[in-house]
Amino acid sequence: MTASLHCAGISKSLGGRAVLSDLDLAIKAGEVVSLLGPSGSGKTTLLRSIAGLVDPEKGTITLGDRVVWSEKAVVPPEKRRIGMVFQDYALWPHMTVAGNLSFGLRSQRLPEQEVATRVGHALEVTRLSPYRERYPAELSGGQQQRVAIARCLAARPALMLFDEPLSNLDAALREDMRIEMMELVRREAATVIYVTHDQAEAMAVSDRIAVMRDGRIAQFDTPRAIYERPADCFVAGFIGGFSVVPGMVRDGMFSVRGGGADSVRTPGAAPGEGMLVVRPEDACPADAHPGNRLQGKVLSSAFQGRCWRLAVELGPQRIRLDWPEAPPVGTPLAFSLPPERCIVLTA
Amino acid sequence: MTMVQNPDAAALAGGVGSALNRAWPALARYGGPAVVYFVFTLLIGLPLALVLLQAVMPGLFAVDGATGLLSVEPLVSIFSSPSTAVSILHSLELGLLAAFTTTLLGGAFAVLVQRCDIPLRGAISAVPWLVFLTPSYLKALAWVLLMSSGGYLAQLGLLPPALGAGFFGLAGLVFVHTLSLFPLATFIIGSALAGLGSELEDAARLSGAGALRIWLRVNGPLLAPAIVLSFIATFAEVLSDFGLASTIARMSSFGVLTYGIYAAASDYPVDFPAAGAQALVLLALVLLVVVADRLLRRHADPHLISGRAKPARLYNLGAWRWLVLAAALTITFLALIMPLGAIAVRALTSTLGHGLEPGNFTLANVTAALSPYTAANEGLVRSLFYAGLTAIIASTLALLLSAQLDRSSPVMRTAVLGLSLGAVAIPGIVLGFGYILVWNRLPGFRDWPFPHYGDGSLLVMGYVAAALPYCLVVILSAIGQLAPSLTDAARLNGVGAVRRLLSVTLPLILLSVVTAFLLTFIRTVFELPMSQMLIPQSGPPAPTLILKLFSHDRDGLACAIALAAMAAAGGAAALVWYPLKRFVAPGLRRPRSNIASGEPS
Repeated sequence: MTASLHCAGISKSLGGRAVLSDLDLAIKAGEVVSLLGPSGSGKTTLLRSIAGLVDPEKGTITLGDRVVWSEKAVVPPEKRRIGMVFQDYALWPHMTVAGNLSFGLRSQRLPEQEVATRVGHALEVTRLSPYRERYPAELSGGQQQRVAIARCLAARPALMLFDEPLSNLDAALREDMRIEMMELVRREAATVIYVTHDQAEAMAVSDRIAVMRDGRIAQFDTPRAIYERPADCFVAGFIGGFSVVPGMVRDGMFSVRGGGADSVRTPGAAPGEGMLVVRPEDACPADAHPGNRLQGKVLSSAFQGRCWRLAVELGPQRIRLDWPEAPPVGTPLAFSLPPERCIVLTA
Repeated sequence: MTMVQNPDAAALAGGVGSALNRAWPALARYGGPAVVYFVFTLLIGLPLALVLLQAVMPGLFAVDGATGLLSVEPLVSIFSSPSTAVSILHSLELGLLAAFTTTLLGGAFAVLVQRCDIPLRGAISAVPWLVFLTPSYLKALAWVLLMSSGGYLAQLGLLPPALGAGFFGLAGLVFVHTLSLFPLATFIIGSALAGLGSELEDAARLSGAGALRIWLRVNGPLLAPAIVLSFIATFAEVLSDFGLASTIARMSSFGVLTYGIYAAASDYPVDFPAAGAQALVLLALVLLVVVADRLLRRHADPHLISGRAKPARLYNLGAWRWLVLAAALTITFLALIMPLGAIAVRALTSTLGHGLEPGNFTLANVTAALSPYTAANEGLVRSLFYAGLTAIIASTLALLLSAQLDRSSPVMRTAVLGLSLGAVAIPGIVLGFGYILVWNRLPGFRDWPFPHYGDGSLLVMGYVAAALPYCLVVILSAIGQLAPSLTDAARLNGVGAVRRLLSVTLPLILLSVVTAFLLTFIRTVFELPMSQMLIPQSGPPAPTLILKLFSHDRDGLACAIALAAMAAAGGAAALVWYPLKRFVAPGLRRPRSNIASGEPS
């Protein structure tokens, strides 16, 4: 049922602006991949191109072993066997929950027995059976979201697309729904593409993340690899709230631009201009790594439960650090960074 | 798996031969828009083009030797003819005066029903709708019954002779137009007022501004675009009006452009070049108004008045509210109750001269209108039938065109919406004249696809052309309210185009489609210009019959037909509307109060 996806050389312009530029993406069957990027990076256009709701200008899209879009041949969306959970859920308000699930199945002229079985199963796994005769307007936001997923599951698509499905839910419900939703799709072993601009959400749901920027994929890797080794400053800045500090590498030592005499050891960094990636959680007391000591000035502090998130002035730069206490604003702060965690990206 | 050569065609082309496969992309891509343009061209574009051509090529449709020579002679002659030049000036004078008074009255009414806490506010806010749905020529005929020297008001001793004489001229026309058109100004200014909310006003009050200052410096300037729009819209309506032009204006010998076109195209000897030249002048004036309207809308700052504002608080008027209520009831009385009352009384009495004397009351007129095989009844039934047919065709056509447009490019959608809004402004009398030119004079059209000219089918076609732009605007705006994801979701669930339209789109916009149907039905029962221009040989429809009977002093029977038509149209609308609202899909109604908020147990 589930299938792999291969997009090759996809280009698309809207209003004269290139939204997707010669983009390649390959996803294995049963894999959950997030498209992560800021607004305007092209992630929704890519998702809608895969669904068939937008036509690219160039390239090929292959689902399993069939080409669903190329410049020569096109499979319309209704024949692609792709399911989608929309940002606004797109539940048909004049149909009951069961009606929403069975409408597409009946349109495909499936036998009634099959329709009933699929609807029953989808309602059961999403725990919606008691609500089958309700209308969408009579359900809470979380329940509506489950109906959208159930509709998608009942269709047994080869590929499931999620277009920022949690963005309409409040913070408390978001995490619960995210866990429940991913349990469901993992159980069904579905191939999933999940669009989001929330880094934490992408990290939590994905086998791999494609970070998008200006219609291209800036990095495509596992969440951990992206976290550990961001490909460039954009990825480092976008993912995880890292700080990126410009400076110079000389003899394996990185000195912050305009930051005085302090420098940190950065093993393996190429000499020349570079950008030091500082992860907030890497900040240690000054004596933990005496050779990798930096000094800044506290600008503000915010309590985050397990620690304080400090904004610290480092020369002309401002960085974020996690710290066990909140020093008064304006006081100097000395801290160190583990040398093995100090990555320098090319400027 | 179905694979075809083009995305638009993909759903329909499975298993078709390769030749068709090659031709299908072009057909699918250009076929839909081509149908849309064809419908517009045939119904509106071609008749309009011929009217314009006729104005500058006077010999184009001459019976004895047609020539395509360009000439400004008809235009020169209408401007040099004192009566036509005067009718142009009359139209402008009447339009400007009536637009001013209508905007004043409509704006005041909007403030009154939207912002003032007066008794019976709900009932009073329905008045503009009822006035709007009553045709202008019926209101005009009613005022003739009331204001003529032997009319009801004179009989009751309420009409000084000077006032009665003054009514039949500019003053009376401005008076009836104002009472007839004020709902338009109320709708335009009222919706701007609703969008304004009261937060800006509250901020001004907290800054120390008094009520007068707030209206002059805050609300007034923000409502200015709506006030100007209302002026422009009512000016265009008065210019295009044929109802008052063919009743009070004709009786007062107050010539206006619309009646001039009708007279030139219908009265013996027919003078098509003169009709064309006057139509050109009228269209040019309307076009100027439309351009002014577009420019104004472009310059109006959409951020000033937004839909986000909370509903405005009502002013507590204290004891003054009784005075304001009296003013509102007076307007209701003048605009609705008196005219309808006059028609009802006249329908139920033998002669106008004996007025309300008990012995004068009779059911003879109503009986004549309702008895089968009488000319009156046949006219009534004919109009109801034509209106029903028109409403079915126009709303179905508008639904299909809207669905096609919804899948089209934004350029196409904007073009058709612009065409529709432009077509709304085309005076019915000009379109009617265009229909005569196309179907009576254009070679090849007279008998295509069947003998059409002088047939009821041509009148229905004219009615459809007049109604289609309104239907399109209503249905397109309803479809525009639907999230595109609803039909996208259906596509991804494997639902084809026809089923998407019938099972997803139609149920969600059903109320709007039915609104378009009912508005068309009511409008068409009373539609005057087309009815006058395209009278079928089988017999006249009700509006023509009403005017004809009225001008032959058989106003009792005319009023009985009008009364029966109003009852039938209103009754039919109520019969369709209320059951539909009652049984409309439960999911579209307000959610039940016990909305599940928790998780299932």
